[in-house]
This record gives sequence, C-alpha cells and structure tokens, in this order.
Amino acid sequence: MGVLNHLIAQQSVWQLPEGSRVLFATLIVLGAFVLFLGLIPVLQTLPPRGRRAIVVIITFLAGLFFAAEFFLPINWTAIFPKDDPTRNFLTPAIQPAQNVLQIIGALALGLGTFGLVRLHLRNVVQKRAQWGYSIVLLVSFITMATFSILNTLAEKEIVERGPVLERGFSILFDYTLVQLDAAMFSLIAFYIFSAAYRAFRIRSIEASILMFTAMLVMIGVVPLGAYLSYTLLGLPEGAAPEGANFLTQVQHNIGLPKIANWVLTQLNAPAQRAIEFGVGIGGLAMAIRLWLSLERGVT
Amino acid sequence: MSYQHAQDNWFAAIVIGFIALAVLLNILRARMGAQLYIRRIPGLDAIDEAIGRSTELGRPVTMIPGLTAFGVVAVQALTIFKYITKQIARFATPMRLLSADATVFAVAQEAIADAYNEAGRPDLYDADNIRFLSDRQFAFASGVAGLIQRERVAASFMFGEFYAESLIFAETGNMVGAIQIAGTVSFTQVPFFVAACDYTIIGDEFYATSAYLSREPVLLGSLVGQDIAKLLFALTAVGGVIASTIAGTDAPIIKLLGQPGGWEAFWSSLGGGGGQ
Repeated sequence: MGVLNHLIAQQSVWQLPEGSRVLFATLIVLGAFVLFLGLIPVLQTLPPRGRRAIVVIITFLAGLFFAAEFFLPINWTAIFPKDDPTRNFLTPAIQPAQNVLQIIGALALGLGTFGLVRLHLRNVVQKRAQWGYSIVLLVSFITMATFSILNTLAEKEIVERGPVLERGFSILFDYTLVQLDAAMFSLIAFYIFSAAYRAFRIRSIEASILMFTAMLVMIGVVPLGAYLSYTLLGLPEGAAPEGANFLTQVQHNIGLPKIANWVLTQLNAPAQRAIEFGVGIGGLAMAIRLWLSLERGVT
Repeated sequence: MSYQHAQDNWFAAIVIGFIALAVLLNILRARMGAQLYIRRIPGLDAIDEAIGRSTELGRPVTMIPGLTAFGVVAVQALTIFKYITKQIARFATPMRLLSADATVFAVAQEAIADAYNEAGRPDLYDADNIRFLSDRQFAFASGVAGLIQRERVAASFMFGEFYAESLIFAETGNMVGAIQIAGTVSFTQVPFFVAACDYTIIGDEFYATSAYLSREPVLLGSLVGQDIAKLLFALTAVGGVIASTIAGTDAPIIKLLGQPGGWEAFWSSLGGGGGQ
C-alpha cells in the first residue's frame, strides 16, 4: 500500500482528498483489470469474423483520432477565448493515449521476460545442450533484477539505501553492464574493417568506383587530406576570390577535403534524401492500409 | 508539450492528402481488376534459395526485426517473417525469431503460430523459437551474435529498424557462412548491410516486400499509388530547382515548399501583399 501511495502522490492529476486517493486508484486499476480479463473470454467466444470486425472498428477509431487531431485546425480562441491557441480540443487526449500504449508495452515486457525465463528454466531442468549458459542467464537475471528494483525503491525513498545496495548496484550496473555494452560496441570497429575489406575488393567497375570514392572521402575528411593538398602540393585553401579565372577556381576546388565534402554533400546526401522520401511515402501507405484494415499480413 | 498540426504547414498536409488519395484510388483500381506490374527484386527472390539451403543443411533460419518498436515497420517486418515461416513450415526447417521489443515479441508469437496454421503444420510451432532477448541494444546484439555462432545458422533474415548493432549481426552471420538477406528503413545502416549481406533491400523496397511476395491486388495498388507520390516529389524537386534558379530562394513559391511561414507568405503574395 505504501508503494501505491507513493505512486499516486507523484501524479498531479489526482486532485482528490488524501484519504480517497488510494481507494479511487485501487478501484480504477481493479476495474481496468476486470474489464480486460472480461474482454478476453468474450472475444474468444466470438466467431473469427466477429472478432475481426471488433479489431477493424477499434483500429479505425484509434487511427481516426490521431488523424483528426492532426488535421483539425488549432487556435479556437475566436470561439473559446480562454482556449490554448496552440492546440485543438483533441490535443489534450494525445498524452493519455500514449500512456495507454506505454501500459500495453509494459504488459508485453512482462510476457517477454516470462518467455525468456521459462525457456532457460526448461534448458536447465531438461539439461539441454549448453544448459550452463542458461544458469548464467538466470543467476544474472535474478541478481540484476533484485538490485535494480531495490535501487529504484531506494530512489523513491521507500527502502533504505545501505552500503550493500549502493556498492552492489554500482558493481553490477556501472562496472559490469555498461562495460559489457562498451565491449560489444567496440567490436563494431573490427567488423567494419572486415566488411570494408570485402566491399572494397576490386571485382567490377562499380566496386572500383566505390573503392576509389571511399579512399578519397576517407583521406579527405582526416588531417592527412589537408596535409597532402595544402602543405605537400601547395594548393590554395578556402574559396576562390571573386572574379578569379577558371584555372584559379579549379585550383581552389581540387583539394582532397573539398572533393570529400563535395562527394558527401552533392552525391551522398541527395541519394540519402531520395531513400528517405521513398521510406516516408512507403510508411504512409502502409499506415493507411493498416488504418483501413486492408493489410492482411499479421492482422 | 506541443504537437505538429496540419495548420503549421498546409502545403505539407495537402501533399499527405494527395498521397493518401493516390494510394486509395490505385487500391480501388487494382480491386477492379487492373493488371499492375511490379519489377523484380532479387533480394526477395533469394528468400526461397536461402530457405532451401537451410533445409539441406538442417541448420536453423534466424529472423531478426532489429530494435524495431511496434509500429508500421514492425508490422511490415512481421508480414515478411510470416511469409518466410510459411515456406519453412513446408520443409520443417528449424527457425528462431529474435526480438528486442516485448510488444513485437508478443505479436510475433501470434503471427508465427498463424503462419504454421495456415501452412497446415501447427504441430511444428514451438513458442520457444520466438524469443525476447533484451531491450538493451548491445545485450540484444550479443544475444543474437551468440545464438548465430552456437547454432551455426544457415540463413539469416534481417528486416526492420537497425542501428549500430546491424554490422554485429551481419558479420557474425557472415562468419558462420549464412546466406543473409537484409531490408531496412534505417538508411544509415544500408552500407553495412550492403557490405556484409548477400542481398539488401533498400528504402521503400522494404514496404514493397509484402506486395511482391503476396501479389495481392490491394498491396499492388498501394505500391502504384506510392510510385505516383514519388513522381510528385520528384516533379516538386525539379520544379523547385527551376523556380529557385529563376526567382531566387526568397520567392514565395519556394517558401511554400516547406519553409516556416511559407503558406502565409504565398497567400499574401497572391493577394498583392508582397512576400512576407
């Protein structure tokens, strides 16, 4: 009850008298839980067509809400002078809708964790191949979860932060998890090297162009490029002066840093933007199909 | 917290409306029986080849939706995985679907179970083959890399949103000699996949996948609608270049194409009020 009290106290929306908060919150949570559990058997008893109809209607209404919120004009102060001019009447409902999505995500996280633990418990109990790894996972999972939960409770001043908790959490999180993350991340450097070796091998005209361009860009963006161009070859730095002849303009623009920059901004960036446009349009079309339940993939 | 609204840039809102209309009209056209063409995508043709190789070797197929949170990209990825699972079910090839998002994991379990049912092999479905590993990026990456190494997978399909972990997956798969097909909307990861995978599906090809694999009229029509929208974007870009060359970048017509206050500037110039 203490934890619930604490959680409620953090919510500014709870404007009820102190004594009624716990009761009200408990009723809401229990009501939502009963409604949720009640819906499952109702949906199970429906024929597939009926179930699909419910899903289609809910999907359409949810999509309609977000579409209407986006397209409806904002600034209704001419009609409602006290209204916020940066929103319409649907905007305040966006945050609660996102909260609902977060709650669904949290429920799914429990499901995912349960599946993971169940799999590894089975591995250990049935002594499947490489079951030792499963023991490591289960021990790590329990230890980390215990210290993380206690640390969160200590942050909220629900439990006392003792030296064991402080040191234990620090060892597990700062000195183990973060370092393991860094170790995995650092592997990418070696993988980039091996992948680049395969990609840049000259096997065709395209691969040759790729390798040549990559070399230009790589040398051009590091100090070596500037050294080769401006110190060793003595090319002029910076932009060509106003009214300079063609040869001077060429000299000002053939330094390796300039070429690398040109490749990145004039060749690479437009190609990336074109891909982004395609992805955006594809995503929008997919969203429309999902909204209108025209997509039959996983729905 | 402030949110974006159509009123912030009516031109963009009109473009969104036009794209939606193009998609819906072409879906209607396709449903009425219009014959629509879709070009060959080699990466998708190679899916069956990769499954065949896994079956011959008796080694598993991995499906990785990356760090995709549940949304449009995840649904598309799961649609592709569902298709792959249906093919796998015909030959009883082992599979593993590895997720970093709990919601995607929950939906994936249902989608894969459905795929086995639709393929007529519900007995092959094992919930343990769809695994939630971790929602931490590199914990997930190490989990996937470990599984690929331990089980010596023969084929790896990576569809979804990927970040720095993409190369860890692709290079680990390469080390064990797996056929790898990747498709992502994360354009920063495309070069890594191109370098390390056998086939890469780039950008909007990812969204064309379900239409390509199923040849459903609704999806094909949607694809044609997308192409019309892309043509509109290309024309707008070319028109913008010509207009800005002739009239300068401060011209109201250029501001209309997306600059803040462009709509007001454009209307005011039409009414004779000048550019600002």
